[in-house]
Amino acid sequence: MVVLKEGICPGLNEDMIKSLQAADIRTVEDFVSSDTEDLAQKCSLSYKALVAVRRVLLAQHAAFPVSSADLYEELLSSTAILSTGNPSLDKLLDTGLYTGEITELTGAPGSGKTQVCFSVAVNVAYVLKQSVMFIDTNGGACANRLLQMLQAKSSNKAEQMEALERIRVFRVFDVFSLLTSLHGLRTDIQRQASAGGGSVKLVIVDSVSAVLAHTLGAKQSEGMSLMMQVAGMLKTIAKDFNIAVLVTNHAVRDGNGRFKAGLGQSWSHVPRTRVLLQPVESPGNSSRSLRSATLTKSSRQACHQVEVFDLSSSGLSEDKGNSGKRKLDDLKL
Amino acid sequence: MQRPVASFPLAPSLKVKLINAGFQTTNDLVDLRPLQLSKEVGITHEEAVEVLQTLRCDSQTAQERASGGSFTALQLLQQEQTLGTIVTFCSELDSVLGGGLPVGKTTEICGAPGIGKTQLCIQLAVDVQIPVCFGGLGGQAVYIDTEGSFLIQRAVDIAQAAVDHCSLLADDAEQRKSLKEFTVEKILSNLFLIRCHDYVELLAEIYLLPEFLAQHPDVRLVVIDSIAFPFRHDFEDLSQRTRLLNGLAQQLIQMATKHSVAVVLTNQMTTKVWRGQSKLVPALGESWGHAATQRLILHWEGSKRLASLYKSPSQMEATVQYQITGEGFRDVPHSGPSRSHDDDSCNDTSGNYCKRPRVEGTQS
Repeated sequence: MVVLKEGICPGLNEDMIKSLQAADIRTVEDFVSSDTEDLAQKCSLSYKALVAVRRVLLAQHAAFPVSSADLYEELLSSTAILSTGNPSLDKLLDTGLYTGEITELTGAPGSGKTQVCFSVAVNVAYVLKQSVMFIDTNGGACANRLLQMLQAKSSNKAEQMEALERIRVFRVFDVFSLLTSLHGLRTDIQRQASAGGGSVKLVIVDSVSAVLAHTLGAKQSEGMSLMMQVAGMLKTIAKDFNIAVLVTNHAVRDGNGRFKAGLGQSWSHVPRTRVLLQPVESPGNSSRSLRSATLTKSSRQACHQVEVFDLSSSGLSEDKGNSGKRKLDDLKL
Repeated sequence: MQRPVASFPLAPSLKVKLINAGFQTTNDLVDLRPLQLSKEVGITHEEAVEVLQTLRCDSQTAQERASGGSFTALQLLQQEQTLGTIVTFCSELDSVLGGGLPVGKTTEICGAPGIGKTQLCIQLAVDVQIPVCFGGLGGQAVYIDTEGSFLIQRAVDIAQAAVDHCSLLADDAEQRKSLKEFTVEKILSNLFLIRCHDYVELLAEIYLLPEFLAQHPDVRLVVIDSIAFPFRHDFEDLSQRTRLLNGLAQQLIQMATKHSVAVVLTNQMTTKVWRGQSKLVPALGESWGHAATQRLILHWEGSKRLASLYKSPSQMEATVQYQITGEGFRDVPHSGPSRSHDDDSCNDTSGNYCKRPRVEGTQS
C-alpha cells in the first residue's frame, strides 16, 4: 500500500488527490481496486485522466514475467556454491551452500549447530577468501574457537588474522535489533555493491529461534508478524544480493520423542534446505564428538539421507570409522 | 532506505493503524510532522511523536552500525582475551572450561540435590575477587538466591581458604601489598546478595539488574541459584513458562555481553521416563537447554563427584572429577590412575583431560 502523493506518477496532481481523498481513496491499492467509471462520476474527474493514471500506477507496481531461459542464464552466471569444508556435509547439501538460498541447521542443545556455523565461516573466510557476516543472538560467538579452527588449517599467523578480519560479528539479543542489523546489512551491501567493493557471500544467523521463540504463542499476535519480517528480510538479502544464508534453529521433541525443528509450521516453509544434527550414540563408540546430519528438507536431494561427521578440535572432519552413509533405521531415531 | 513499519518496536495496534492508513515504509513517514501524522492516522499527538522518534532513533543506530557498530572476529578475539576467566580452584575443571568460567557468557550448572551446585557458586563468587596480581579479576559478585540455600558461614570458610591460598603464593611486594586488601571482610562486602522468593520477584530483579551493574562496574559475576526453583511450581500454563524463560535467557545473555559479566545459573534435575528407561535430565524442559551458552552437569558416579561439560561453543565435551572439602570446590588429589573407565554408565572420553598433570599456577 502506497499513499497517493503528488509526483509518484505523471498526471496525478494535487487537485486530483484532494478529490480522490474526499471519496476516501488514499492509497494506490484503493485506487486500482475501485471501479474507474464510478470514480470518475463520484469525484467528477476526467475518465481519460483516471485511466491514464491507473495504467501508470499498475505498471509501476506490477511484477514482470521473466523467461526461464533468462533466469537460467542468470543462475549460471551469478549463483555460487560455497563449500562447507566438510565432505559429508557438502554431500548432503549437494556440494555446499547455494547463494540466494536459506539453509537451516536444527538440533538439540549441544548437537553442534554453532560448531558447524564456525566451521563454515572459517572455511568461507579462509579457503574461499570471502567475507562472512556472523549474527550472534545467543552469545555463542567465540573467536578463540574460530582461531583454533584456523590454526588447524594454516600455521601462517598473518593468514589467520586476515581470515578473522573477514568475519564480521554482530551481536543482537532481541528481534528488533536483529531486524535493525539485517536492515543495516542490506544498506551496507547495497552501498558496497554499487561501489564495486568487497562482497559478502555468506550471512550466518545463530540462532533465529533464540530471539523469536518467546514472542510466539498464546495471545501474542505480534510474534508471527515479526517472524515473517525476519524471514522476508533474510530472503531478500539472499535473493537480491546472491548471498548464502545459514540459520540455526532449536529442535524440540514431539509426542513420539522424535526431534522436529522449532518455530512451527509457518517457519518451516522459509528455509530451502534443512539439516537436523544429532549426536551419535552407540555403545561401542567411545568418542562423543560424532554427529549425524539428516537432510529433512531439500529441493535438490532425496530427503532423509544421513551422513556422519566428527566435531573434532580442528573443526569438522569426515568420520573415518564409518563408510559415511547410513540408513535412517540404523540410528534408531 | 526503505524499512517496513511493521519491523519497528512499536505497539502492534499502532502499527496496524499506520499500515491501514497507507504508511508502509520509513520513506512514507520521514518528512511528516507529528501533527500531520496524528491527523492522518487518527492517533494521539503523543503516539505520533513516539512513532517519529522511534524511526529517527533507528536510522541513527543504523548509521552507527555502518560506521563500526559491529566488529570483526579479530576484534572479538582481542576482547575475549582481555575479559579473562574466573578460576574454580579445581584445575581439571578449569582446563576443561578453557582456563575457568568465561566472562561475558552465560553458564548453566545442573545437578542433583547435594552435588555441590551452591558450593561451586559460592566458590566462584569468592574467586572472582582474587586480586589482579594473583591472576584473578579483582571483581565483585552479585548472588541472587531463590532457594534460600546461600549459607554465609560457608562463604566465610571458602573466603578464608582463598585468602590463605593467596598468602601462600605471595612472593613479591605488589602481591603482599594487595594481600592486605584481600581479607574475608573485604570479600564479603564485595558480594551482594539478593533474595528472591518467587518468579515475579526474580523477573523484576533481572529488569533492574542492568542499572545496578552500571552503578557497580566492577561486578564480574552474576549468580542465580537457582533458576529452576521459582519456575518449577506455580505454573499451570507450561508454554507461558517456556516463553518467560526464553525471554529471560535473552536478557541474561544481553547483560553478560554488555556489562562483561559471567552469568551463572543453576538448574535442578528431573527424572524423565523414555522408552521404559528413566534417566536424570536437567529440569525446565527441552527448549531451555538452548538458553545458556555453556552447560555443565554435575553428577554422581558411585561415590565420586563428576562434572561434565555438556555444551560449549569453544571447548570439547569432557568429564572430570572434583571434590568438595571444607575449603570449598577442589581437585581430587591424584593417587596413581585415579580414574577408571570400567563403568559403562559413564561414557566419558576425558582420558586426556583427567591425566593432564596439574598445572601449577592456574589459580594464581
